[in-house]
Amino acid sequence: MSEEGLLRKITERFGDKIIEAKVLGKRRVSILVSPDAYKDVVRYAAQDLGLEFLSCLSGVDRGDSLEVVVHLGYSMHVLIKTRVSKDDPAVDSITDILPAASLYEREIHDLLGIAFKGHPNLKRIFLPEDWPEGVYPLRKDYSPEHPKPLRGGEAV
Amino acid sequence: MNFEVPIGPQHPIHVEPLMLRLKVEGELIVDADVDVSYIHRGIEKALELRPYIQGLYLVERICGICNAAQSLCYCLNVEQLLGKEAPPRARYLRIVVEELSRIHSHLLWLGHYLHTLGFETLFMYFWRDRERVMDMLELITGNRVTTAYNTIGGVRRDLPPGAEQKLRRTLDYIEERVRYYEKVIDSEPTILARTQRVGILKPGDAVRMGVTGPHLRASGIKHDVRLDDPYSGHDEIPFNVITWDTCDCYARVKVRLRETSECVNMIRYALDHMPSGDYRLKIPPFFKAPPGESLSRVEAPRGELVHYSISDGGDRPYRYRVRTPTLANLLSVVEMLRSRGDYEVYIADVPAILGGIDPCICCSARILITDEAKKRRMITTLDDIIRFSRGRRVERR
Repeated sequence: MSEEGLLRKITERFGDKIIEAKVLGKRRVSILVSPDAYKDVVRYAAQDLGLEFLSCLSGVDRGDSLEVVVHLGYSMHVLIKTRVSKDDPAVDSITDILPAASLYEREIHDLLGIAFKGHPNLKRIFLPEDWPEGVYPLRKDYSPEHPKPLRGGEAV
Repeated sequence: MNFEVPIGPQHPIHVEPLMLRLKVEGELIVDADVDVSYIHRGIEKALELRPYIQGLYLVERICGICNAAQSLCYCLNVEQLLGKEAPPRARYLRIVVEELSRIHSHLLWLGHYLHTLGFETLFMYFWRDRERVMDMLELITGNRVTTAYNTIGGVRRDLPPGAEQKLRRTLDYIEERVRYYEKVIDSEPTILARTQRVGILKPGDAVRMGVTGPHLRASGIKHDVRLDDPYSGHDEIPFNVITWDTCDCYARVKVRLRETSECVNMIRYALDHMPSGDYRLKIPPFFKAPPGESLSRVEAPRGELVHYSISDGGDRPYRYRVRTPTLANLLSVVEMLRSRGDYEVYIADVPAILGGIDPCICCSARILITDEAKKRRMITTLDDIIRFSRGRRVERR
């Protein structure tokens, strides 16, 4: 299937739920969908278009909104994106369609603070347990303190 | 009665800090949980704060062993953003170094894996042969481990004079040794007993769990980024994608062994057909990338490596995302460790199963101390440990 053919199939099926669809390059396709259709688009791509391999999920802080990017496919790499607002961000979990999403959703929850509705075990994965609540290091408003060099066990 | 057996964060079977919590009934494992939180270094955030050229140095340090793959993936990504492509000679030189580090990684893994199964001598043998590969890496790149060979727009240096003959001699040696090791492994009953029908991952489960790399190919699925999404002239170089259909730890050993000989052939082909011309483009060290996004994938020794970057037109990435192969493979460990039906997993199988994915986890931030007598757990930070250590002065008289 060509890049354009794949885009056409998805836009024909979901119509105005697709906000933006473009070809990024050879074997790279990007589709921005509205949050309510996000799970259906992922299901359609994974089950009907045969893109059953989940490469990963990425989270991006887009300034006024947060973006979740699903990377699908072995040879063709399809990015399915959706954006949610920053106050109380929540997206449907896709772990029931693609179990591999489990760790990546925990990662995005941990680092960007997006809740995944329906995730079976949405706990911390990378940050320490004593990390303050509500502080998300990958958001743009977070700036890491300048690391202090250690000398003889004491920060100088 | 159920018990929880913690293995880690520091344990002889782990090379790096990793916490495995196993729920056991007698010797049988009924459930498992993996904790990787000992290693987070915040590299994705750090990459947003640095110009592209500085990011290259940081990316190389994500993983010591796959550094060639990491830096290649980063360079491909930034080149894509800039709309540039490395010259043909650079592409072939990149393949030579990438495949050399794959040989070095696979030999390292085989040695370590057989060591955890109790074969000290094989460990020494494998690592001795790996040393020859390290010498070649040093000859070509100037460094043994962190090669620092790839750069934005090509590679840092050309093949030094006389390197080709030395490299060919080493390849002959490695090929012969790998043939010998395959015979050893196939005729050693203990290795077969400890790996065959252990840690079974069916092809369907492997795809569902998002497994990548040699681990996926050992489940009989023919996927390799070099074949499906060629990135550095791999479409010009003939090679076989090795698969094995027994789906167990034995398959993982076989796939990696055979891949090593495949790498040898790829390097030979690249040397035979090495294009002439420049080995790098002239790109100024500090530059602004045009706005856009780019995605690069590389077949690292442990599996598919994904770099995804977004540029807002500045001199540093707006967002840089790295997905390393071990994170993709971790979920399958939990699946393989869980006994169900006829498939039984015992505590003695844990090193074989965990080692089978070639886990690569690094850098510690804190420690979990369990006080069995008082039945309590507490998290101790690095600062606390430093304080404890200073509180207890050793008196010398």
